[in-house]
Amino acid sequence: MTTLFVLDVDDFRPLAEVAAKDPDTTVRRRGPYLEVSAPGAIRVERDATGRRNALWYSSVAAVRDGRVSRWDKSELVVVPTGTGR
Amino acid sequence: MSSPERDRPAHTVRGVDHAAFPTFDPQATITFYRDVLGFPVVHATCALGWGPGDHPDFIHFFFDIGNGDRLAFFYYFGVAPYRDAGLPDLLHRARHLAIHVDGEEDLLEYRHRLDASAWPCELQVRHETVESIYVTDPNGYLMEITRPLRAITAEDDIDANVSVDALMEVAGEPEPSLEKFYARKAKLIAERYEGEPELVTFG
Repeated sequence: MTTLFVLDVDDFRPLAEVAAKDPDTTVRRRGPYLEVSAPGAIRVERDATGRRNALWYSSVAAVRDGRVSRWDKSELVVVPTGTGR
Repeated sequence: MSSPERDRPAHTVRGVDHAAFPTFDPQATITFYRDVLGFPVVHATCALGWGPGDHPDFIHFFFDIGNGDRLAFFYYFGVAPYRDAGLPDLLHRARHLAIHVDGEEDLLEYRHRLDASAWPCELQVRHETVESIYVTDPNGYLMEITRPLRAITAEDDIDANVSVDALMEVAGEPEPSLEKFYARKAKLIAERYEGEPELVTFG
């Protein structure tokens, strides 16, 4: 499972909320973190999160079994390790 | 005398006593900090023949930057001005002093003071948890004035500690990268918060 961790504070919680709209994605609480998991890629559209620049680019706490393949002004994509986009 | 058995309070430091920098232009420095920004002069040590042989005479002067903290400068008489002409922009931006204000009104007041001077504000930006203005002082030092945008929470502090633990590990290995850092941090999170996590749904 591709897993993205975001800290469960008001600034970053919207990322998990937006990611959770994908039916393949589950969100669990692990300590102070929201653990966002999906069998494939995790995609988060920035506009849907409403995050300004600094928050958007500091929103990823950690990544397990995956890597950030795109993180620009419009989208964050975490893909399973060993895959392309 | 200290001993390992002695009970020590964990953390007894109390902020910045003073941060000190050399200046080769005391007139501009005093104008900038005292007259433009309004930082009171609170102390000056005038030392005749106290310094080493190549710069025995100096003035060490201090500005109050609030909270009892001070910003200090050394001016050495008879020393040719030196400037880091080849300083990479990365270092110029990374080395800076950030002075705290409590609110937006205070931040804007200092912005107005700068903008009305020969050293206008160069950048105003909302970071993750603070909003800041930046200016390069007459000595070429980057200075920031910053206000909090929100309170720092216990979660922020926990995350910071997991981050530096992951960084300690990754930075000691060959070819450290942010990708490796994220993976190591995920491993630390899993270790520290093991067990079946609770499912979260958003309303």
